[in-house]
Amino acid sequence: MEIAYFLGCIMPNRYPGIEKATRILFDALDIELKDMEGASCCPAPGVFGSFDEETWATIAARNLTLAEDMGADIMTECNGCFGSLFEANHMLKDDEEKRAKINANLAEIGKEFKGTTNVKHLAQILRDDVGYEKLASLIEKPLDLNVAVHYGCHFLKPTEEIGIEEQAENPSILDDLVEITGAKSVDYKDKMMCCGAGGGLRARDLDVTSSYTKEKLDHMSAAGVDAIIDVCPFCHMQFDQGQTEVNERYGTDFAIPVFHLAQLYGLAMGLSAEDLTLNAQKIDAAPALAKALGENAK
Amino acid sequence: MSIINRLKSLFSEEKDMEEKNISVKISVDVEQDSSDLNDGIVSGTKTSVPISDVLKKEEDAEKSEVTFKKDVSSIEEQRVEEDLPIIEEDEPSNDEEIPKVEEEESKVEEVQEVESVEETADEDGDETSEIEEEVPVEESLDVEENTSSDEEDVNTDDEIESAEKADDDEEEQKEDKERDNMTLLTDKELLTDANRDPEFTAEFIDAGIETVKHCFQCGTCGGGCPSGRRTPYKVRQIVRKCLLGLKEEVITDDALWMCTTCYTCQERCPRSVKIVEIIKKARNVAAHAGYMAKPHKMTGVFVINTGHAVPINDGAKALRTKIGLSEVPATTHADAGALEEVQKLCKITAFDELIGYDEATGGLKE
Repeated sequence: MEIAYFLGCIMPNRYPGIEKATRILFDALDIELKDMEGASCCPAPGVFGSFDEETWATIAARNLTLAEDMGADIMTECNGCFGSLFEANHMLKDDEEKRAKINANLAEIGKEFKGTTNVKHLAQILRDDVGYEKLASLIEKPLDLNVAVHYGCHFLKPTEEIGIEEQAENPSILDDLVEITGAKSVDYKDKMMCCGAGGGLRARDLDVTSSYTKEKLDHMSAAGVDAIIDVCPFCHMQFDQGQTEVNERYGTDFAIPVFHLAQLYGLAMGLSAEDLTLNAQKIDAAPALAKALGENAK
Repeated sequence: MSIINRLKSLFSEEKDMEEKNISVKISVDVEQDSSDLNDGIVSGTKTSVPISDVLKKEEDAEKSEVTFKKDVSSIEEQRVEEDLPIIEEDEPSNDEEIPKVEEEESKVEEVQEVESVEETADEDGDETSEIEEEVPVEESLDVEENTSSDEEDVNTDDEIESAEKADDDEEEQKEDKERDNMTLLTDKELLTDANRDPEFTAEFIDAGIETVKHCFQCGTCGGGCPSGRRTPYKVRQIVRKCLLGLKEEVITDDALWMCTTCYTCQERCPRSVKIVEIIKKARNVAAHAGYMAKPHKMTGVFVINTGHAVPINDGAKALRTKIGLSEVPATTHADAGALEEVQKLCKITAFDELIGYDEATGGLKE
């Protein structure tokens, strides 16, 4: 099996440990991740999608053509990239008028959107194409962790179009994937709420974004979790860097480390904190790692 | 308005059953008129009723409506027709019917609202105008919530301030009763065709977001909106304003940018209105009218300069090398030709002009 691996921006350029973990995980699963050479930003829905739909769709379509030329489906592990590429692909497959307009733009760089690829999220591939049993066989060190799963927004919604879960407000896919590693997904208040970073809000009004994040952190903290698990590098950045911003603004002392799902699998497969670049994150992961691996080290 | 309505409500109690019956028929009638007009202003509750079905009912509904007017509100009808401009109209055959029908409907709603207020007050054994003297503060807040009910704003904080507010309650409640909560109107601020920009509404329809017409202002969107809990962003109002064509109000409002596009509203909308699409479209119009925040423009600059909204930096390069990944990812960062393609596309769509990109400096003009 081959997959066109869409990196996006924040993962390769801020949290490369997520990319490293993903590459190792897919090696172990015997699925080839092929680089989409020359891919760009998805582009960011909060800016391009909010400013000019045509530009957004044109740049997204250019990325989609790269995978079409490779004859492969796309995998992304960022909710923003997933939302952007999925929506553009869906729109251009459905709407002939818009497709003609976008293809006229792409013709200027010698490309054409044909509608022959599918856009998939990492978690979706792990559930549907790999399967939970095969994943379970990879786990070397079951993790003793209580975690708060953060789904994010553009992974499952709008349900009507994406359809990964029938009930996007009451999903189980990530909780299931997390629990395969031995970690326990702990329920918490307003679990499905947004991290606050999306839609261009983080760039425009960090105070409002921080107030979202504080609300989430309050609820996660009340549930007594050891770590936050996400499937989106932008949410990841918001809970990592954004957590320090919350502490500055509100005088709080939140210290909940943040793992992308791929990093969690990396840990369970025995990768080091350095390989996962956890030591480069703002929130110290050491206490959670000691707990996660402690008992199993005996 | 409030005096007349109170009189009317007294009157209407006797005709309670009759009225309910009529109000149902009238809303069907209104809706059919609206879709005929392709006017987009739909406030009925059954937009999916086939026109042919509605046509069959039309005659009956009109008969009932006429009877109703004669019975209940001939005096007020006269006043209203003098004051209110005639709603935009294309079909001469309906010319006289439509404003009357819509007016009838809104009056019915007003009557029902006033009734509900008085019911609440009656439970407290008091008249609405004297509530603050005898009714416990919490209960008077309930009345306020009923009458203003704009968003779910009434909370414990209000209770803390209630002692201070008690003095103002009488005045506030008067104001609240003057407000027609099902629209954005007050008596002093009438919406006329002159305020409306039908082309603005048409932009949503043309963009394929026809569902904007299906909103019946239930407020489910605002009720679940995490931004509405902490900012002035009122998603229900914005959808309504887009439908009414209140372009300037929508695009000049900073709150339009307080949405994180989390889709909670759209997931829960009982009418499956594509709310996030509406917000994004409204933002597109705002952006093209020059309402863009500098940090957003800068994100665009990063993409034009590097292909990435969040470009690589030295720290990330070092990390990548350390864990055995290529120093830069195999994206536009590693492929000048690919970056040129992205830049060319941004020129073709005039995105560079839109954000004020300065090719000479690689930054923003100004």
